[in-house]
Amino acid sequence: MTYVVTEACIRCKFTDCVDVCPVDCFREGPNFLVIDPDECIDCAVCVPECPVNAIYAEDDVPGDQQSYIKLNVELSAKWPSITKSKEGLADADDWKDVKNKSGELIR
Amino acid sequence: MAEKQPPIETDAIVIGAGPVGLYQVFQLGLLGIKAHVIDALPQAGGQCVELYADKPIYDIPGIPFCTGQDLIDRLQEQIKVLKTPFHFNQEVTLVEKRADGRFDVQTSQGTFISKVIAVSAGVGAFKPRKLSLPGIGSYESKQVFYKLGQVKQYAGQDVVINGGETAALEAAVALAGIAKSITLVHRRDIFKAEESLIQCFQDLCTQGLIKVQLGQVTNFKVTGEKLSSLEVTDFNGQTHDLPLDALLPLLGISPKLGPISDWGIDLENKQVLVDTEKFQSSTVGIFAVGDINTYPGKKKLIVCGFHEATLAAYGCAAHIYPGQTIHLQYTTTSSKLHEILGVTPQA
Repeated sequence: MTYVVTEACIRCKFTDCVDVCPVDCFREGPNFLVIDPDECIDCAVCVPECPVNAIYAEDDVPGDQQSYIKLNVELSAKWPSITKSKEGLADADDWKDVKNKSGELIR
Repeated sequence: MAEKQPPIETDAIVIGAGPVGLYQVFQLGLLGIKAHVIDALPQAGGQCVELYADKPIYDIPGIPFCTGQDLIDRLQEQIKVLKTPFHFNQEVTLVEKRADGRFDVQTSQGTFISKVIAVSAGVGAFKPRKLSLPGIGSYESKQVFYKLGQVKQYAGQDVVINGGETAALEAAVALAGIAKSITLVHRRDIFKAEESLIQCFQDLCTQGLIKVQLGQVTNFKVTGEKLSSLEVTDFNGQTHDLPLDALLPLLGISPKLGPISDWGIDLENKQVLVDTEKFQSSTVGIFAVGDINTYPGKKKLIVCGFHEATLAAYGCAAHIYPGQTIHLQYTTTSSKLHEILGVTPQA
């Protein structure tokens, strides 16, 4: 199993999750983070850290977010590792409650 | 390191003082095995205390509700009678099998020789998060401190603190009026700490004793041999130079799965592969319990860790006393167990 970052992270990217990860499995894109499923050890430490509740266990990913399981696999293969938190995106607060923002994802 | 101490010889070492490690001590104790416990943190509790001390747990058998700290307090109470030696503030760096079948265990502060090892190291050793500025490491313990330590050493100094949680705010408050100036650098103007501490901190800011600079630490300057200032880039991309005598990055702590891959035991996805009879690893005499292990059907639940620790204790006993039958006894009826637990049940 693995943990999966879902839509809520898009255009927010608060990065609080990154600091607590014991195995540095987060990968960073321009406006989204993903978890490398080959590195994740299922410790769940990141889940409560996310201010927008974007992270789910693979088995708990909501129905409409299922495509993010594959997306995490795909993007983690090409995005660089992020191991320290930084400031969220400048307009993150404007986007944190927005639903259906998958079209905003920059790959 | 100070003077070299002779190694501590023992029957069992438990690595990690989280809930499962503490219960491991209890179960070993019931079988008459005295353990030493090693943990990287200054206190027991592991994730329960570091990550969810005040958060609720609802799935411990017989305890409908408790917090992470409550659970640890209860587990410590349960093993109090065993008078277990705890070795805090040290991380296990090396585990090696000796010719006599026992293990050499090296930590950052000393060495141990043990017949068995129970690894209950969870998601790894909790360590202070460090500043990620190339070259800053050479000023550590000279001008860069990851712990506040003695307040008086900062008397009359310009101090920059980096962080926005309890440790950072506590340090700022403690140094107010002692240091020449205090600047707290944090990436947002929201602080994570108890309300009363935040209030106290903000009062001192209003009085002008503490300054807050929002932004990210981006660089540092050196004058001669000394770290002279810290560069902080704010939200608008503007840089600020903060002159300093001492820098305190107090960014909290986070777990890191450390050198376990060097111990020669089989891992699967960075976790210790164990059998489900004794929770023993591929190395006879090394057991692994709790979040650090993996096996078919593994669930990372505290209650499962308690079960694992119980069976691992019997595995340890079989290894320490080869050829002896280890009898199962009940705490309700066994006078031997009553003696170990120091109790005299009423009929």
